[in-house]
Amino acid sequence: MKRFVSFLLLVVLSLSFTGYQTAKAKEDTIKIGSVYIFSGFAATYGQFAKQGLLLAADEINKSGGILGKKVEIYFEDSHAKPAIALRAIRKLVYEKGVNFLIGIDSSSVAKGVVPYIKELKIPLIITHAATPDVTGKQCNKYTFRISVNINQNVMAGAKIAANTKAVRWTTIGPDYAFGHQSWEYFQKYLKELNPKAKFMKTVAFPKIATEDYSPYITAIMAANPDGVFISLWSGDLVNFIKQANKMGFFKKGYTILMSLGAATEVLYALKDQMPLGIWAGTRYWFLANDSPVNKHFVKAYKERYGVYPSYNAQNAYAALYALKYAIEKAGTTDKEAVIKALEGLTFEAPAGKIYIRPEDHQAILNVTWGKTAYDPNYPIRILKPMVIFKGEEVTPPVEETGCKMK
Amino acid sequence: METLLINILNGFCYGMLLFIISVGLTIIFGVMGVLNFAHGSFYMLGAYLCLLIVSHTKSFWLAALTAPLLVALLGALMEALLLRPLYGRDVSFQLLLTFGVLLVIDDAVKLIWGAGYHSIEPPQALAGSVNILGNPYPVYSLFIAAIGPCLALLLWFFFHKTVYGKMIRAAAMDREMASAVGINVPLIFSAVFFLGTYLAGLAGVLAAPLRAIGPAMGDNIIIAAFIVVVVGGLGSFPGAFTGAVILGLVESLGIQFVPQIQMAMPYILLAFILLVKPKGLFGRE
Amino acid sequence: MKRLAFILPAALGLLLFPKVSSTFYVLLLTEILIFALFALSFNLLFGYTGLLSFGHAAFFGLGGYTAALLSYYTHISLVPVLAISTLSAALGAGIIGFFCIRRDEIYFAMLTLGFGMMVFTVVHQWRSLTGGSDGITGFEIPKLNLVFAQISLFSPASFYYLTLITCSLLALTLWVITKSPFGLILKSMRENTERVAFIGINVKLYRWIAFIIAGTIAGFSGALFALYDRMASPTMVHWTMSAKPVLMTILGGPRIFLGPAVGAVIFYLLEHIITQYTQSWMIFLGAVLIPIVIFFPEGVMGTIVMWIKNITGRGTDG
Repeated sequence: MKRFVSFLLLVVLSLSFTGYQTAKAKEDTIKIGSVYIFSGFAATYGQFAKQGLLLAADEINKSGGILGKKVEIYFEDSHAKPAIALRAIRKLVYEKGVNFLIGIDSSSVAKGVVPYIKELKIPLIITHAATPDVTGKQCNKYTFRISVNINQNVMAGAKIAANTKAVRWTTIGPDYAFGHQSWEYFQKYLKELNPKAKFMKTVAFPKIATEDYSPYITAIMAANPDGVFISLWSGDLVNFIKQANKMGFFKKGYTILMSLGAATEVLYALKDQMPLGIWAGTRYWFLANDSPVNKHFVKAYKERYGVYPSYNAQNAYAALYALKYAIEKAGTTDKEAVIKALEGLTFEAPAGKIYIRPEDHQAILNVTWGKTAYDPNYPIRILKPMVIFKGEEVTPPVEETGCKMK
Repeated sequence: METLLINILNGFCYGMLLFIISVGLTIIFGVMGVLNFAHGSFYMLGAYLCLLIVSHTKSFWLAALTAPLLVALLGALMEALLLRPLYGRDVSFQLLLTFGVLLVIDDAVKLIWGAGYHSIEPPQALAGSVNILGNPYPVYSLFIAAIGPCLALLLWFFFHKTVYGKMIRAAAMDREMASAVGINVPLIFSAVFFLGTYLAGLAGVLAAPLRAIGPAMGDNIIIAAFIVVVVGGLGSFPGAFTGAVILGLVESLGIQFVPQIQMAMPYILLAFILLVKPKGLFGRE
Repeated sequence: MKRLAFILPAALGLLLFPKVSSTFYVLLLTEILIFALFALSFNLLFGYTGLLSFGHAAFFGLGGYTAALLSYYTHISLVPVLAISTLSAALGAGIIGFFCIRRDEIYFAMLTLGFGMMVFTVVHQWRSLTGGSDGITGFEIPKLNLVFAQISLFSPASFYYLTLITCSLLALTLWVITKSPFGLILKSMRENTERVAFIGINVKLYRWIAFIIAGTIAGFSGALFALYDRMASPTMVHWTMSAKPVLMTILGGPRIFLGPAVGAVIFYLLEHIITQYTQSWMIFLGAVLIPIVIFFPEGVMGTIVMWIKNITGRGTDG
């Protein structure tokens, strides 16, 4: 009994000692903590975001850093699980001592982590998670989003859907916040644009990382819809398309909208198996913007990584630059000052002009949709025709978001 | 009506895949009393080895021949080195050991192949679709549906009509007696473990073109395999066949008719059988 | 009372920990304490009663979700929240345990696995109540209402003290239970169920009570964990969460009372150290687990105690 108590004491003491070893934050670096999905069905998304961040960090460091300080980035895997992401963030903030956070792919994770960010008092720039809640119901002054969210993407999709002949709509989406909310807003916006639209009772919400979609595919085909709104993404979308191809899903003449179909992660994984003529959305399309900033980004990314940049890569890249401009505008890395500088910030990102709305910290930028098409110049499907919506056209006013920060 | 039939077909195809995985599990339990928690990981290993072989040789059939053998060798090694010291001890320890193996294999797969998902296509000969009830249906799924019963027949023949099969059944029924009659029981155990994990690896190879290959494959399938084996009767392979078909149908028809509670149905089935007829539908012993 | 001489320094160390250590380690130790209690509750069933449960996370999760729901929707203060969460876990354990204890060994394990996953699917599917796969998030830790003051448990240090005090008290309670006549009967049931039944003891009843006690305490630890994380999510109820106390108990040793707690410490230390170098720490855990199961079934703690017994010739009871 006494031995093990001594053992316990030893353990406790050694833990406290290691506590002292925590590296004192070097005053001449800016530490960024970054949490993405690096494993499982969406592992490529984290990988691409990391690539975008590292590209930005290298460019920034080569040209003197931010206010003369070098940028250091620490990456952690969220495994797409809120509890794990929280642990990762605690580790980044308390053990590594990061000054700012960039990241979050999954809307579930975002919903779990954003309230805690308020307690941590560390600015977080979300670059992927699209649930309206983080700049809506859950909005707080430490949370920003640099990327297109569900409302913006789905509003654009609804506008496209309203111009088609489809009347009876159904959906296939992942069974969590993102899938359900995408459908909720699609119905809301489409109904406003096309009062004749009908929404079917038969819908499909397979759980994340479903391996066998055949029962869902069969169910939707049996219901014989006019239009299908698909919010599946990443590995799930790839899987679904492969299986649906074999069951003739894409030969039935449905009007199909895939809200995240034009993610290059998906297009590269599918190559020729991606059906043609499908309306696909994305959060950034590398061919949609002719600006020098975009041309430079696409070229640099392709040279370094061998593939065209995905939206996850661009968003992460843009986030780091946004941070840079905000810190420079504030003249300090003090968190409160940087927050003030981020609010209302306008800058040129590869995706185009980005304006961070001060009332809810949501970025307003262009949204691109397009029909999947073949082009011999590219190894993946591209979007032709492209439809570009101005940010102001598709972003709901602050009153509608439920954000009560100001 | 069409949907119902297609869904029955869907369920049967998935059921056959489950059967091939579960029959190995149930044979191992029936003969050795070991519930192999790592069985799903061997299945996953089979799929990953298939990926490896196909990416180097472009031949699915070669993979189908060699991958299960490699998996089985690993299984036999595990049995000889790790499980054998535990015979005679509490069943819980064997379960815990196989759980430890699960942890090792699951992470090893991530280390070697990365944490993301991969996929391969079915072999050319089986890559197309046929028309069933007016809609295309993948030929490869039908292939799986056909292999299941063939395998079942093959195994039945082996266990009931050949000397080796009978030796194994003898060892299963009464270890001491079998050994007294001169049957090399330890060798039989190794052979059975080899066979069981071979089947798991084979299931993995067959599943690889059908489903995404990823590090969570093993975890997902092991629970389903447990349910099949318990529902059907531990140690019985008509039980494994029936259990697999039932579970497959519960899955696909459940999604069609009761999508909200479909996820819970396999567990409800499990609990029901355990409480009402714990030996399973075909359980003897 | 020689023991006090050694317990006192350990207690002092734990009490002073937040003063000498960084926030990160305070958080880590908080988590270790919560899971140590969770593992201790599991071991009441496994080490003492001989029942291997693979669904213990069901009660952990019931406690957690109840705490999360109460904190999200109401303004009830801390003590009632913890009490109600623990009660709901007790209720769940009563119902589920009633069925599970009817079977032995593998069948018991399978039943607990099945019921555990049933709770998982309910939690995962019932979006309107439990938030589905997203879980419940965005609530604050309820304040502690003492007669003279309202204490906020917002800071890592204060939550640590809450955890330390409550987990120690509950662990002590468990210890007292194992030393009581009830505990002795459980141990004899583990050894030979038939003989115990012959003496006239209602084996099923005792098992059921043990199950409920274990589930109740697991529920408390789950409630603490939900408050600690400010969220409840279906992972709390999944069988992979049920595997955690199993692993910790095997690591530490099921035959010594504090074995599972030591196992929890080892588990977290291993993870912390190994993840500095690589994400793949499970492979190390498995590689450590396998030799322990084969060669050291008494676990790290148990084996050390055995060695000491052999060397010193002195006895300790487990």
